[in-house]
Formats: sequence, structure tokens, C-alpha cells
Amino acid sequence: MIEAIDRGAGLLRSSGAKSLIALRRVSRIHDRGAIAALRNVDLQIKEGDCVAIVGASGSGKSSLINILCGIDYPTSGHVIWEGRAVRRKKDWTRLRRLRIGIVFQEFNLIPTLTALENVELALLGRGLSRKHRYTRAGMVLGHVGLDHRPHHQVTRLSGGERQRVAIARAIVNEPKLLLADEPTGSLDSASAGKIADLLFDLREMTGMTLVLVTHDDALATRCARRVRLRDGAIVEDTLRTLTLGSIGSKTKA
Amino acid sequence: MNLVSLALRNLKRRPIRTCLSVLGIGLAVGSALALMALSRSIQDSTREGMDEIGDGLVVMQKGASGIFGGFIPEQTVERIAAIPGVANLSGQLVAFAPSGFANGVLTLGWPDASYLWKKVPLREGRVPTAGERHVAVLGDTAATFLGKKIDDELDLFGETFRVVGIAGYTARVNRGLVLVPLVDLQEASYRPRQVTIVHVNVEHADARVELGRVQRDIEALGNVVAATANEVLDNDRNFAILEAASLAVAIIAVAMSALNVLTALAMGTQERTREIGIFAAIGWSNGRIIKSIVIEGIVICAFGCALGVLLSFLAASAFPRIPTIGNLVSVKPSGGLIAPVIGAAFLLCVLGALLPAWRAVRMLPAEALRRL
Repeated sequence: MIEAIDRGAGLLRSSGAKSLIALRRVSRIHDRGAIAALRNVDLQIKEGDCVAIVGASGSGKSSLINILCGIDYPTSGHVIWEGRAVRRKKDWTRLRRLRIGIVFQEFNLIPTLTALENVELALLGRGLSRKHRYTRAGMVLGHVGLDHRPHHQVTRLSGGERQRVAIARAIVNEPKLLLADEPTGSLDSASAGKIADLLFDLREMTGMTLVLVTHDDALATRCARRVRLRDGAIVEDTLRTLTLGSIGSKTKA
Repeated sequence: MNLVSLALRNLKRRPIRTCLSVLGIGLAVGSALALMALSRSIQDSTREGMDEIGDGLVVMQKGASGIFGGFIPEQTVERIAAIPGVANLSGQLVAFAPSGFANGVLTLGWPDASYLWKKVPLREGRVPTAGERHVAVLGDTAATFLGKKIDDELDLFGETFRVVGIAGYTARVNRGLVLVPLVDLQEASYRPRQVTIVHVNVEHADARVELGRVQRDIEALGNVVAATANEVLDNDRNFAILEAASLAVAIIAVAMSALNVLTALAMGTQERTREIGIFAAIGWSNGRIIKSIVIEGIVICAFGCALGVLLSFLAASAFPRIPTIGNLVSVKPSGGLIAPVIGAAFLLCVLGALLPAWRAVRMLPAEALRRL
């Protein structure tokens, strides 16, 4: 059934799942106040959620996702992870190492390394043996359908394959939250479809929370929840559920 | 894969810059080692030379800047001879004499009756006889360098000397010597009745107490100091200046190499800002990122130091072929010299790598990822 929306705070409430990450009155101001990328954003994401963040270019989608994974900090407001505010850089580093995976539009792979080594990078510093890291990275590459090209330098892979490597790197630590910033934005439509399928399949298999920034409406509709940004503020927060084959929805104005 | 293999990949990715950095460090370390080895070798060669010629104590003018810097009147030599316990002694006048195309031939003047003449390891000819004037004995290297053989004439200070003997000393500095009667050198160098140093042989020189007493008795004569050859050279101001200058140049050379590493890594880090952003985005700690950059600096430094040591050995084998250097000293970079130079190079390279590393981790990952 349709779930209720807390109009005042913009927070979804009714499901029984625990809150994974939340933004409380988060603003991000650039250039000494000249640009407000985010303005007093309140957002709560629960464990297992699938959230599509949509909006026009410059609406603050990437700023939002950067703040959700701590690679950028809010100018004001707090980010709360599992009920506790995350303030220190060290804590964010630890979260990204163990709990948050990120997939970028531009892949952001290390060009000198092979597919396997790029995945292995995310396992360094976890106290795993070299053999264990190698095996695990290889296994995850298998999950994303790249078991046949683990030792290829990433510059020799196609766009779709590179994004698979990036996804493998993001999930190799079994994160609770997977953030994907325009994951299909640099791909042709065939590859984009496959990458989208891969992301949703992985979510299905692992039950991890997925937050997806996208321009693609078709991709956004595959998420149960849609958050629309305009000029740095949330203008729509919709949750849809499948009920006897039909889709119900409710939108915050 | 680990941080070292990652560093190697990064260095391989920019081969020209890596090679230039390694070459820069190699040249700096090599020149630092060669300079310091040269300075040490000059001192060691002089020490070997003094040990080969004389023994026991060396008497110098008090306050003289170095072994060749003072003058002692011959009367003082006679007074030293009268001190109980002195077995034999010899005054020695030292001069760098112009000779034909050579500007400064190291020339020693000994009295006719000096015991030092008896110790000359003659290879050919003879030593001067008592009262014989304007004759010279050449070290074999000096003979070759000056192109002289027995009975040839040799010009020193504008005066003509006849070569009567060729000596086969083993110490490199002695092989380049010219030995003449003291009185001839005193006249030619305008130092009548003066010597530069006095070699003193002490009876029972093995007994420290006896050596110490003779030393005190000599110094009691006033205006002179007596010491073993080693002590003299250790306190020689000229050598100290030479060593300090070499050390200063060596430090500058090594610091330049660290600057080289800093520049290479700063540029490399600047180019790799986005990559560093990626490391941060996937959860690498600041410490790990800094470590990866510093390891890169250490790898460059290791290759540079290896090249530097190789170059210093090449210089050591090339210097003896240059007559003006090879006639006087032999350059030998020793382990005791290599270790501190390389240690300093590594320390400076790590410091040089820390700056770009620190700058890299100060940036927000999101900002770093926006860089091209």
C-alpha cells in the first residue's frame, strides 16, 4: 500500500525498517554564498530502500550524493548514519571503506591497473591477506559478469565493462548502502540497460540500500522511491508500491 | 598488489619524468659521494705519505694553519735534537714549486745528513751525497708526469736541478714528490735556515709515557707543537676547511636531489589529484594515501641512490686517470661514507614526498574528483 509522507520534515515514516542514513537541514554553499547547491535538505533513507534522485542539471543531485557518502561536507546541518551524527573525516573514511559503496558516472578507475587490481584497491587496508584479496576481488568480478577479463587493463575495456569493474569495486566490501551517481550516463543504451539490470539484480540479491542519481526516467521508475530536487531543495518525495499488479503512488507537493 | 607495486606502476606510467628524477638524484648522490670521498682521500693520502716518510712525532709551528703552513727556525731543530729520548730527527721544508708547465710540484727539502734519505725506496739511481747541490730525487709518478729520467735537468723555482734518483714510494702523494737538498730549497724559496716541520723519532716510541714526555719537552721550547702524524692531520685547519666545504657542497647536492623528488612528486601528485580523490572515495585513510605517495618517493630515491653509488665508483676509477688529481690522491668511496650520504638522501626524499602527500589529503575527495 501507499506509505505516508511526513510533509513537515520530508521524511518517510511508516515502514518498519531502521533508518540507515538521514540528512537533517543540510545546506551546501559554494563560493562564499554565491551558489547554494543544497538548501535545508531533510532526507531519511531506510535500510533496504531503493531511492532514485532526479532533477535537472545543477539541481543539487550530485552534491546530495557527495554529502551522503562524505566525500563532501555540508556547510550546515548534519548527516546521521544509523542514528548517530557523522562529523569526523576519519568516521566517513571508515564508512566508505566498510559500509558505503560508490559508483560514478565517469567510472573513476585507476587506468594503470587491471580490472582485478582496481577491485582489490578497495580491499587494501582491511587486514586481508594478499591471496584473500585476490580471490575475493576475482569472485566479485565474476558476480558482475567480468570473470573472463580480470587481468585486462581497464583502459582496454569497453564503457559497460568499466562500469562493471566500478560496481564490483563498490560492492566488494558488501556495503549496506550503494550510491550510484548517473551510473549509466556515460554508456550507450544497450550497455546502460545491462548496467541498470546488474545494479537492481545485485540489490535484489543482497538487500542493500540503493540510492541512484539519474536523468533517466525509465531507470528512476525502477526504484520504489523518487526524490526530486530543484534548486537545491527537495520538491517531490514519492513512494510507490506494487499492489496486485498496479502501481500506487503518493507525492509530496 | 600492494602499495609498492602501485608506486612502481605510477612511476612506469611517467617514464621520462621518472628517469629524469632518478638521474637528478643519482647525479646529486654521486657528486656528494665523490666530493666527500675526494676530501677524505686527500687527508688519507697525506696521512699515508707522512707515515711512509717519517715516523714518531711531527713538530710544527704553534698556530700554523696546517701541515704546510708554518715555519720553524733551524736553531729550534738543533734544540729538539738535544732533548733526551730523541733518537733522530730531520727538518723538512715543504714547497709547491713551479716547474716548467707544472705550477705546483710538491717539493721537500731534507738536510744532507737526514735519516729520511736512507728511507727513500730507490727504484733507480741514488740519493744526493753529502754536500751535493742542485740534485733531485723524483717520485715515479712525478718523473712520468714531468717526463724526466736519471740525469735529466729539472727546473724548480727557476733553478736547474739534475735528476739523480727515482723513488718507488707506495703512497700516492709521495709518488708525486720531488726531493732536494734542504739548503737548495731554502735558497730557491727564500726561506733561509727555516723548515716547515720536523720529523722526530723517539727512543722507545712504543711507550706512551716516553712519547708524551718528549712531546712535552719539545713544546716547552716554545712556539712549537708536537704530535703524531694522525693528530696533526686531524687538527689540520686546511683539511678541516676542505672537509667542511666538501660537506657543504654534498649537503647542497643532496638537498637539490630532495628538491628534485619534491618537484617530481608534487607534479605527479597534482596530475593524480583525481586518482587520490578516488582512493579517498573508496575509503583509503589519509595515512594510507600519504604512505602510497611517500613510497613512490622512496622508490625513486632508491633507484637514484643506486645510480649515485655507481656514478661515484665510476668517478673513483676515472679520477686517477686525470693527472692533476690522480698524482696526488686516490678516491675511494667507502661504506662509511656511502651510508650517511644515502641515509641523508632518503631522509630528505621522504620529507620531499611528504609535502605533496600532505597537500593531497587536505583536499576534499569531491573536489579532487572534479579535477581532470
